[in-house]
Amino acid sequence: MEKSFDLSLVNDFISVGILLTAIALNTLERLESCVKAYTYNSWLLFLLILVPAVTTNNPHLYVAASLTLATKGIVIPLFLRKIVYQQKLVHQVQPYISNLLSLTLSGILITIVYASLSKGISVTGFSNHALKISIAVILIGLLIMITRRKAITMVVGLLFMENGLFLTGFSLTSGMPVIIELGILFDVLMCVIILGVFIIQIRHKFYSVDLDKSTTIHDQLTTLKG
Amino acid sequence: MTSMYIYYFGLLLFIAGAIIPLIYPQKMKRFAYIFPTVGACAFAAFGMYLLFDHPLDISAVSITPLLGFVFRGDAISGFFILLISILTFSVSVYSMGYTKNMANKGVMGVLFNTFILSMYAVILSGNVITFLISWETMSIISYLLVTFDREEESASAGLLYAIMTHVGTAFILTAFLLLYKYTGHMDFAGIKEATNDIPAGIKTIVFVFAVIGFGTKAGIVPLHTWLPRAHPAAPSNISSLMSGVMIKTGIYGILRIVVDILGVGPEWWGIAIIVIGAMSAVLGILYALTENDMKRFLAYSSIENIGIILLGIGASMVLASNGLHTLSAIAMTAGLYHTLNHTLFKGLLFLGAGSVVHATHSKNMEEMGGLIKLMPYTAFFFLIGSVSICALPLFNGFVSEWLTFQALLFDFKSASAVAKLIAPMSGAALAFTGAMAIACFVKVFGISFLGMPRSQHAENAKETSTSMLAGMGFLSLFCLLTGIFPGHTIKLFSSSVFLLTGADYSSSGMGILSMREISSSISPLSLFIVMISLFIAAVFLVRIFGGKRKITYGNSWDSGIPSLTSRMQYTATAFTNPIRVTFKKIYLSKRHTKVSYALKPYFAKAIEYRDDITPFFEKYIYQPVTDFIHSLAGKVKHLQSGDLHLYLGYILATLILLLIFWS
Repeated sequence: MEKSFDLSLVNDFISVGILLTAIALNTLERLESCVKAYTYNSWLLFLLILVPAVTTNNPHLYVAASLTLATKGIVIPLFLRKIVYQQKLVHQVQPYISNLLSLTLSGILITIVYASLSKGISVTGFSNHALKISIAVILIGLLIMITRRKAITMVVGLLFMENGLFLTGFSLTSGMPVIIELGILFDVLMCVIILGVFIIQIRHKFYSVDLDKSTTIHDQLTTLKG
Repeated sequence: MTSMYIYYFGLLLFIAGAIIPLIYPQKMKRFAYIFPTVGACAFAAFGMYLLFDHPLDISAVSITPLLGFVFRGDAISGFFILLISILTFSVSVYSMGYTKNMANKGVMGVLFNTFILSMYAVILSGNVITFLISWETMSIISYLLVTFDREEESASAGLLYAIMTHVGTAFILTAFLLLYKYTGHMDFAGIKEATNDIPAGIKTIVFVFAVIGFGTKAGIVPLHTWLPRAHPAAPSNISSLMSGVMIKTGIYGILRIVVDILGVGPEWWGIAIIVIGAMSAVLGILYALTENDMKRFLAYSSIENIGIILLGIGASMVLASNGLHTLSAIAMTAGLYHTLNHTLFKGLLFLGAGSVVHATHSKNMEEMGGLIKLMPYTAFFFLIGSVSICALPLFNGFVSEWLTFQALLFDFKSASAVAKLIAPMSGAALAFTGAMAIACFVKVFGISFLGMPRSQHAENAKETSTSMLAGMGFLSLFCLLTGIFPGHTIKLFSSSVFLLTGADYSSSGMGILSMREISSSISPLSLFIVMISLFIAAVFLVRIFGGKRKITYGNSWDSGIPSLTSRMQYTATAFTNPIRVTFKKIYLSKRHTKVSYALKPYFAKAIEYRDDITPFFEKYIYQPVTDFIHSLAGKVKHLQSGDLHLYLGYILATLILLLIFWS
């Protein structure tokens, strides 16, 4: 009994770690750090799955954990780092809003999530905190996508959202069937690869990965129509 | 069971007709019109079966256990099936010649067959879902046919049509949902049984919505704007079908929902229908009068005729709510008779107009003239159509308008003062409409068929092919037959009248229309015989007493001017000028006269005259609404900025709002 109590505490700690990496993303100035934050986030996610895997000795969870580590913890970060290095000039994040405002908004988001999920949701999985944190991470990921200018930061935001979703699923069910997790991981991998290719293509075509300038496509289309 | 086989046989033929033109060989495309010709005969037999025998359930596919495609026929649908079949037969025969040199022949064949099938489906629908799906299919296919020639004008007409018809469908959908909510039934039979559960207020809303929704399709006056633009834009065989039967599906909807399902309502329902009918009739014919585009003119005339049909139906509703069921049956007979007649002669006139447009390559009457010598048969059939639509005796329009007059006069017997007041006024409106219709068709026939050719094209016009003439001839024959045998015709659809009003009106005798209630009667058949014998007698008398005469041919009298030119003739605009001046207040016309003088004020070199009428509804109702929607759309457009971040922001905002308000 004592052991399981320890386990939930450990898991809560790890979840908080995941949330912290997401919050940290708000203040990071350089693209490399963003990728690093994502790496830590993924490793924490791996740990989160590993702990119940060890305690319950469930082979499914082992597989899920190792796959998470392999794709999210190693392959995707390496790929992202490569893309970042390819961008020769500016490695700065260049957000629309100041870091302080970004942090404040994240805080508000977390408050809303905690306030609205405090009642009425019964968790069948292992932790109520993990659920709230996971939704907070999803929203912060979305916030990052909205407030950052560059395509690669948008990819990072998307990946954070995906990790949040993974955590939501895990907190509600204590591990989905392996085949589903396998599918999701594969999807994410493909998604990142495709987005990476797109980023490179966008830079080739428009000499910038600043998505601000993608509105010009829209404008051109409207003028064509008009 | 034979009837089922006939039904499936007809269905199969139309489907075959829709598929065959897709097969490549050009020779196969002929079958696109041969199959529906036979199919129409089969469906006509099926419609007769429904009219004479018992209602029929046709087993069909079910989508879910709750909902399915249900087709069901009764006497009311039988009547409309018969209408569609008669016109389809003639139009199919006509189309064999008409589409010979048409581009995209195969597509035309497919659309033609599916269009007719969708109209059958609307009429035979047994429940709400089937009805709506068929209704929308009909609208979409007719949209494709309106924009068939891919010209800019057709495209804008098609857009207007699509918008109007969908607004109409929205009203119909709301009416159906209300019916479903208060009766718990989706099928029409179930709704009809449970109508007593519907509160009176809801019934009124359903009535208003059904009239607006179906009225849009039928072309009642404030909602008519699409009609004069969409009907002329379609190829003529399709215009004939659209004007002849498609707008009748709107009448069918009003009959089915208001008269059949909702049953006898308060008196003001009927009065509202009468007022709408009178307004459509008067304004329709007044606008028709100023129109120089032949097909657009016919489309306006369709609005007028829909008005006349509604006058009969409205009178029937008023009488029914006063408990005068036999009189109500007579009024309903008038309405249905005019529905049948309008199908026949408007179909005929549109086919005639199609032949003329086909031969002269112009829709403008001012460029025609003298066609009676070049296209004598077409002119003859067109004349029969014109005489019928002007309600002159011997032809069918006379019978139905006479009946409608009687129906309106019956309204005196209703209790309320309003009905007593409305009845003579709408009768006067109908009389006015009749007079104007004659002026209109004198103008159309006179300007385009008589006189001298006004353009090169009119000079080179040739008589159309045999199949086109056959199609028109068939309809002309029907116009005559329903005109001189009204008793038989009424007997044909007396079962649908019985179903709608609960009473029977059977006129006695073969060619005699008599009403015991007010002891008025008329016999078109004896009129016909008298006229024929008078004619023969006159010929004989001339032969006997006239002696021998020599026929000499000479030029028309030309007042001493060296030669007559076509520019000396009355133009279409000039012909209608007196009427336009009289009704200046309705037309809101603006005249412009510009004279350039060689020597002022005696020698005018050129006089330019223009007379524009202001389309009241378009300018003062539709234009402001359109502008408002445009400005609203302009404001909404800012939401779609093309900025990815903003779009993501919308998602975030939505998520947060959901989190806050949902939990």
